[in-house]
Amino acid sequence: MNERRTSVPSEAAQLPVLAQFLHEFWSAAALPPTQSLAFEIALEEVFMNVVTHGTPAGSQGRVEVCLALADNSLTLAVEDDGPPFDPLTLPAPDVNASLDQRQVGGLGVYFVRQLMDAVSYRRVGPRNQLRMTKQVAR
Amino acid sequence: VKVRVETLEQATIVIAEGRLDFSAAGNFQRQVEQALAGTEHAPRALIIDCADLEYISSAGLRVFLLAARSAQRAGQAFAVCSLRQSVREVFDLSGFSRVMSVLPDRAAALAQLPGGPE
Repeated sequence: MNERRTSVPSEAAQLPVLAQFLHEFWSAAALPPTQSLAFEIALEEVFMNVVTHGTPAGSQGRVEVCLALADNSLTLAVEDDGPPFDPLTLPAPDVNASLDQRQVGGLGVYFVRQLMDAVSYRRVGPRNQLRMTKQVAR
Repeated sequence: VKVRVETLEQATIVIAEGRLDFSAAGNFQRQVEQALAGTEHAPRALIIDCADLEYISSAGLRVFLLAARSAQRAGQAFAVCSLRQSVREVFDLSGFSRVMSVLPDRAAALAQLPGGPE
């Protein structure tokens, strides 16, 4: 079991810090670069969701990110201390809508669902926890 | 993301290089809007060349959607070309490949412009 954890303020400027955290984990675990896309997307979409929707105005929340590799299964967990919110309840976007009718809202969570093998939400005490797991061939 | 703009007779080409994530999307959107507006007059067509684009998220896709819509309203042709596998995957997942012209390379994108070579 290979596990790394980091915590950042819930603000958009921290996105590159998290992207770097993922990149370093990937290199250290010698995972194939071609398989990082699902996790890069999931980390950005879930983190930005927390920053834009999960942080009450005027408050300074924190987001904790954990990557855990067990055998060939990689789990990304994102926890925040915002009010209870399950992003998996958001309606799926209509990916067949015409150009005029297309919405970008909801696309991030849709990507996460499509790219990961399993996604689950739990409220753990004062925190939201989203866990995403996917097999990575090594 | 780094952006270069090439102006051809039949189209303006925006060349995007690097990562198009939330942090980069605002700046990229401004540059695409400028390219659509043109300097002296608006171009007949805009092509976004993604050969060197390594990563795109929903925030980056939004810019493509807004640009495609804006071009359609202004009667400008719009196409995206040369997507790498990782970017192509995100375009396909989002369904954007079905609502905008996505071509394998720049020559194909230029060839399908109205009045372009047969």
